[in-house]
Amino acid sequence: MAKEFKPVVVTANDLIEGDSVFLGGCGWVRDIRMARVALSVDEAAVLEAAGIEGETGNMVVGPYLVEVALDRGHPYPILRREQIRAEGVPTIPVGLGALPAERRAA
Amino acid sequence: MYRYDEFDHRFVTERVAEFRDQVARRLTGALTEAEFKPLRLMNGLYLQLHAYMLRVAIPYGTLNAHQMRMLAHIAETWDKGYGHFTTRQNIQFNWPKLSDVPDILEALASVEMHAIQTSGNCIRNVTSDPLSGVAPDEIEDPRVTAEVLRQWSSLHPEFTFLGRKFKIAVTGSEHDRAAIKVHDIGLQILRNTAGEVGYRVLVGGGLGRTPMIGKVIRDFLPKADLLPYADAILRVYNLHGRRDNKYKARIKILVHETGIDSFRDQVEAEFATMDRAAVAVPEEELVRIAAYFAPPELAEKPEAPVEFERMKKLDPDFAQWVERNTCAHRVPGHAAATISLKPVGGVPGDATAEQMRVMADLAEMHSANELRITHEQNVVLPHVALGDLYKVYRGLAAIGLDAPNKGLVTDIIACPGLDYCALATARSIPVAQAISNRFAGNARQREIGPLSIKISGCINACGHHHIGHIGILGLDKAGVESYQITLGGESTEDAALGDRTGPGFGYDEVPSVIEKLVDTYLALRDSPRETFLQTYRRVGMEPFKEALYATAH
Repeated sequence: MAKEFKPVVVTANDLIEGDSVFLGGCGWVRDIRMARVALSVDEAAVLEAAGIEGETGNMVVGPYLVEVALDRGHPYPILRREQIRAEGVPTIPVGLGALPAERRAA
Repeated sequence: MYRYDEFDHRFVTERVAEFRDQVARRLTGALTEAEFKPLRLMNGLYLQLHAYMLRVAIPYGTLNAHQMRMLAHIAETWDKGYGHFTTRQNIQFNWPKLSDVPDILEALASVEMHAIQTSGNCIRNVTSDPLSGVAPDEIEDPRVTAEVLRQWSSLHPEFTFLGRKFKIAVTGSEHDRAAIKVHDIGLQILRNTAGEVGYRVLVGGGLGRTPMIGKVIRDFLPKADLLPYADAILRVYNLHGRRDNKYKARIKILVHETGIDSFRDQVEAEFATMDRAAVAVPEEELVRIAAYFAPPELAEKPEAPVEFERMKKLDPDFAQWVERNTCAHRVPGHAAATISLKPVGGVPGDATAEQMRVMADLAEMHSANELRITHEQNVVLPHVALGDLYKVYRGLAAIGLDAPNKGLVTDIIACPGLDYCALATARSIPVAQAISNRFAGNARQREIGPLSIKISGCINACGHHHIGHIGILGLDKAGVESYQITLGGESTEDAALGDRTGPGFGYDEVPSVIEKLVDTYLALRDSPRETFLQTYRRVGMEPFKEALYATAH
């Protein structure tokens, strides 16, 4: 039986900063809520190809698809690893104290 | 410690320039990621969950105050104000930008440091005893051997593209403080019956997903044969080690599948045909290297200086810290002091730039300008006069690094885990913090006694959980973090791999699980002097298993 399709977004690491980014409507963004969501296998293939273009276009490194659930239309990663990654910071305060995540559009 | 000569300076300077050019070409796209990735790995630059990570080599864990201050400067200038000391005696910076890395490497080169071969399929940092040159039980300072191996392995033309990473550790004492039995090659310095100094050579140890204790390949190797024999081992590994499967490519798999006797025969055959004179270290070079590790001139001092004894009476916290965190030095009236980077509730192994600077100052003023990083993620000031210990202690207290917990339940080793690492399957740091907070009280920690907890956030075992008295392995079970517990691991000359207790536990359960194990130990020990490990060895797994899994009636 084919695995049920789950909505996906494309993520990668920014080439210079190294932080996690997501393919949004107008380029790469750091807030996963702004990411483009593929709702079908065909849309996922288009999204994946766009992700690869981001790597060949020298903007990002290592694009891949991440399964998400939708919360009032906004994507939210299903796997714990991707949830932590999407936050952009560790789950614990580090260094001199809590490090606030810097969210800005690409 | 070793100081760069003109050749070394030129080598690192050229390497920085080369990498600067490679980064520039990567940023323009002239190099693709596929082309650039092996180059950046050979310069210690990883890509993790949230950012790049730069792993800086600290050869055999030894550095001076000037170098520690530069690490602080790097943390402040190009990172987020802190660094992480690792289980291989290195330091990691978790937030560099790719475009800044050449400048970071240039800064490191200015203080005779680099990040070369801290990643990739090559020979990594050679690690050693943090009490090298200090411990009274030492036959010879193992750092001389480690430095010889470092020079031999740096950009070795034959061993730069191995099937997998390769790790070597050296101990100068029978009591193994370098965990040599779980390294690809482990070397123990010893004397033979004729009184000659040489090496017992072990091979095929390792942790990760198939942990193994190293096997003796040579009971006694004359010192002069060190590099030729190491060459022979690496050649046999390079030739016959698997390259078809990343998870079966370490030398431990080759030794296991070949059998140690057959593997030994192959190495000895290779060694026998070798032009040893061409490979071995010339005697004059060995003398030159050894001179860098000549002990500092420390005057013998009283074993119980009056002021030192008085402060121990006046300040019981200081007395506790002395008892737990200092150990004997070969020069009377001195001690090696462990700075615990495990304050209660803190991130194991992390130090802020401010803390690094204070440690540097203390080393310069009170420890012959020397510091050591341990594979248990602490720092050692190796040469402190007893009369100076109180000043050191007060200096550490001012920066929150005065925890008197070396080897106790809160002296937890933890890998970065899922908070940082792209390979991780579970978080390790907050688990360590929760356990540390649960056992915060000094009196309780002392009551429990020596207990080494080691936590890995995935099966790669960078937290060395297999050799923890209590090991914790974080896994992903259907998308939920699940923690397996092992008992009875040990890293010393009595090295052993921990035994799994049974099914794993949830993230929130782990501190209570540890508490049950500790309570079981306290109830079963035959005296307060019997340690957790000794009790486990005596009574076995069953009582602990029952405590963890027996259902309430």
